[in-house]
Amino acid sequence: MGFAHPLYLWGLGAMALPIIVHLLNQRQPRPLAFGAIEFVLRSQRQKSRRLRLRQILLLALRCLLIAAVALALARPSIKPKGTQAAVASGPQATVLVLDASLSMRYRIGSTTLFSRARTEALAALDRLGPDEPAGVQLCYQGAPAQAPAPSFDRLAARRALQEAEPTYLGSDLTACLAAAARALGESPVKGKRIIAFSDLAAHSIRLDALPPLVPSAPAAGSTTPGPGVRPSIVLVDAAQGRELPNTAITGVLVRPSAALGPRGYEVVATVANFSGAAVSALPVLLRIGAQTLAKGFVDVPARGSARKTLGAVLPAGVVTGRIELARDDAQGLDEDDGQDFTVHVPRDVKALIVDGAPSSLRSRDEAFFVEAALGPARTGGRIVAQTLDADAAAGNSLDGIDVVLLLNIPAPPRAFAERLRAAVTQRGLGLFIALGDHVDPDAYNDAFGDLLPRPLHLLKTAAEPGTLEAEEHAARFGAIDWTHPLFRIFASTEREGLESARTYRYALLKVDPAAQAKTLASYDDGAPALVEGRLGAGRVLLYTSTASQAWSDWPIRSSFLPVLQQAVSYLASALDEKVLQASLVGNERVLSPAPGLSLSSVADPDGKPAPLRREKADKAEVVLGPLLLPGLYKPLVQAPGAAAREEPDLFFVATLDARESDLRRVDESDLKAQLGGAGSAQVAASAQAAEGARGTPLWGGLLLLAALALLGEGALTRR
Amino acid sequence: MTLDPKLLARLGPFPVRARKVMEGVLTGLHQSRAYGQSVEFMEHKEYAPGDEIKNIDWRAYAKLDKYYVKRFEMETNLRALLVVDASGSMAYGRGPLTKLSYSAICAGALAYLLSKQGDQVGLVIAGDPDPSSTERLPAGVRSFLPFGASALHVQELLQRLDTAQGRGPTLLAKALDFAAEKAGRRALVIVLSDLFDATERTAPALKMLRGRRHDVLLLQVLDREELDFPFDDPTRFLSMEDDRQVEAQPRQIRESYLEELGKFLDGTRRDLARADVEVEQIATDDPPDRVLLRLLARRGGG
Repeated sequence: MGFAHPLYLWGLGAMALPIIVHLLNQRQPRPLAFGAIEFVLRSQRQKSRRLRLRQILLLALRCLLIAAVALALARPSIKPKGTQAAVASGPQATVLVLDASLSMRYRIGSTTLFSRARTEALAALDRLGPDEPAGVQLCYQGAPAQAPAPSFDRLAARRALQEAEPTYLGSDLTACLAAAARALGESPVKGKRIIAFSDLAAHSIRLDALPPLVPSAPAAGSTTPGPGVRPSIVLVDAAQGRELPNTAITGVLVRPSAALGPRGYEVVATVANFSGAAVSALPVLLRIGAQTLAKGFVDVPARGSARKTLGAVLPAGVVTGRIELARDDAQGLDEDDGQDFTVHVPRDVKALIVDGAPSSLRSRDEAFFVEAALGPARTGGRIVAQTLDADAAAGNSLDGIDVVLLLNIPAPPRAFAERLRAAVTQRGLGLFIALGDHVDPDAYNDAFGDLLPRPLHLLKTAAEPGTLEAEEHAARFGAIDWTHPLFRIFASTEREGLESARTYRYALLKVDPAAQAKTLASYDDGAPALVEGRLGAGRVLLYTSTASQAWSDWPIRSSFLPVLQQAVSYLASALDEKVLQASLVGNERVLSPAPGLSLSSVADPDGKPAPLRREKADKAEVVLGPLLLPGLYKPLVQAPGAAAREEPDLFFVATLDARESDLRRVDESDLKAQLGGAGSAQVAASAQAAEGARGTPLWGGLLLLAALALLGEGALTRR
Repeated sequence: MTLDPKLLARLGPFPVRARKVMEGVLTGLHQSRAYGQSVEFMEHKEYAPGDEIKNIDWRAYAKLDKYYVKRFEMETNLRALLVVDASGSMAYGRGPLTKLSYSAICAGALAYLLSKQGDQVGLVIAGDPDPSSTERLPAGVRSFLPFGASALHVQELLQRLDTAQGRGPTLLAKALDFAAEKAGRRALVIVLSDLFDATERTAPALKMLRGRRHDVLLLQVLDREELDFPFDDPTRFLSMEDDRQVEAQPRQIRESYLEELGKFLDGTRRDLARADVEVEQIATDDPPDRVLLRLLARRGGG
């Protein structure tokens, strides 16, 4: 509230007149001894209450009349709260801070907060006096810490505002205000003012920071700057005090789902609701390209989040998909309604089963159970298994084969062992070795060497199968590493199926302190049952008993099949969680291409090359960023002398900062307090507040009030 | 000729005023003397056949050797009792005369008239007792003068009327009770009052008087201001008889006041008329001789 002519407010003193008249009326009646007082009394009894009321009413109307006239003469106008305090007289150097963070993309109807704010900022720029220098600063995370100093180049400031676009980045209004204050320090104009156009979302303001301070120029002859000056700060609320409800996808988790079969994945989307009202039946879509693979509905409580799991069978390779909220609201932040994800879906595994004891009787064949476990009917075609006998395998090429399973083969010829070794170490071939009657420990140690996780020692017979005491004496699985990928699939209730297996004979292993072998399962006497070793890029699993019924009854147990399938996938590295970690927009990402390859460029989600930076000339690592857009980034690699190609292994997704989705607003009084108190800061709904002097005129209404009071007074006295 | 109260007020001492009024009345009445039986001798007349033998003045015959008949002033059997209300409210009157002085003038004139006719007149001044008075009087009677017709009596009566002051509460009802007692046999009781009696016992007392076969005439005297309520400024009205007071905006209550007063006056008239009490409502700016004339004319020159 302000007055153009405050002197007229003295006119309010004229209100004393009707009060005096009233008091005179009340206090000083002429006394008169009257004979017929009885009738006066009778009349007065009826009238007195109405009379008193009318007197008071009359007084009020007269006071109102005078007050309204006096106030109207003073020409009051309503100004946004606190304006009076923060407006200093004289020209002021002004920095217009325009919040360009992601949350400013919030849409209300067809306009975004950003376009509103920009319009306000342009209007504020136009209203600046000719002697007030102005600067424009866009505010987003990672914005330059030093804003341009205010200048008189209005055209440049105008252009800067007109060309400003909202980013996908987070925001730190506190830092922007501090930067703006520093920029103001470079202006010689005495008045300092910051007008910030923002959504005032709580996430962009740090309430524990120091209030912005304009550094004052060092005193003459001194180099140390004087104490700072507090600028007057006007925060223009682009949302004009509105609540900004929003729903967003704040997280996407992709994980394989055995229940959905091979290459079945479930995508868990975290949907957050940043509004005070619960949202029900919000459609969530899972899309790959233009195709919608799954759709679900989710209920999200107010100010809470919910998870929605959508399942889909994904194609092999690097899959890029998107989870979207099919929201149809008049307002909201649209950019955070979807989130991309990439997942490395494992390709099919080719397995070679080397049968060391083939038999014409299928059930007596050494590979019978393994073949059954890896058959297309069981694996959905994810594992393609080929069975050869030991001699055929030795002559066969290992190219294209991911896993080799050696089942009870005699010690192989050196050449074959060497080829296996090379494939394991260099290509990451997986090797599964099961023992049997054809195995001679010493020959094995000789032939395989360090391919064996641990050298064989001797065979131990716990019990003769088929004998009476066999059940009792047979070995059982003792310790099992349930956290290992092989056994992780067993829920605790299903573990019994594994523990009930009986093993009658198995190989004992030599202690090899140098070996990095890891025992995944052992028998109840402590002897290892399943040992994992790593050699180069590959893995080797050694099972110390048979994969047939010869030494153990495990293969006929239901637990054998999943363990074997997992083992094959594991050995083929297909179980490796190739979680392609997403990056946050605004952050940098380090890309390290495979040895021998160099990164030539990275295509950003719009298909344009993203800026790259090499930290060290000798290293292949490349730093990309800061990432400005959300979505899928596709790095291109180049082998020496070859054309650049997309490298799916390096694909990654940049996601939005979930904090920006929460447009809950900062408490106005907290904010003012942080900015140095109401004396220097104010929060306004419109840029009109910025220049303070003008406001909504009130005197028209006051004059009307005065006229009404006059009419009422006349009507009352007439009676 | 009429006597304007303003003029009347300027006329000298009270008896003069009363007499003036009386004279005015008499002029209007074309009064003729009436002779009758009385103890009071008036003149002699030569005997003529038909005169009462008992009235022959034998002493005159002895002196003059002629028959003369003694003629006496006619002795009336009319006895009139004037009851004047001297309560506080009767002292009201911002015009030339207060209600009380107006009433006193009327009463004095009536007393003159009646005594001239040879009627006996008595006086009761109603009001709280005079502290200086040595008379033993009942409550409500300030002053009492028994019936009498002599000039001296009338002088005394006028004297008492002149000195009467309006003060204190209205005790007219008690005075009327006293008057009923003193009036004895049938009499004319003339009551002058404004009848502003908070206790409202006056009307029943009047009716009671009438019930005792007295001829009751009420002259209800009101001030013009009481009738018209011509005030404008906010006023604190003080009671003249007790400590009641009320602040009022006269303009605002005027209508209601007049209504209340009209109700009272009409009610009184109707009520008393039903009881065969004659009521004459008089404003103090009416010339008193006119009023009395009107009254007498209506009573058939009684």
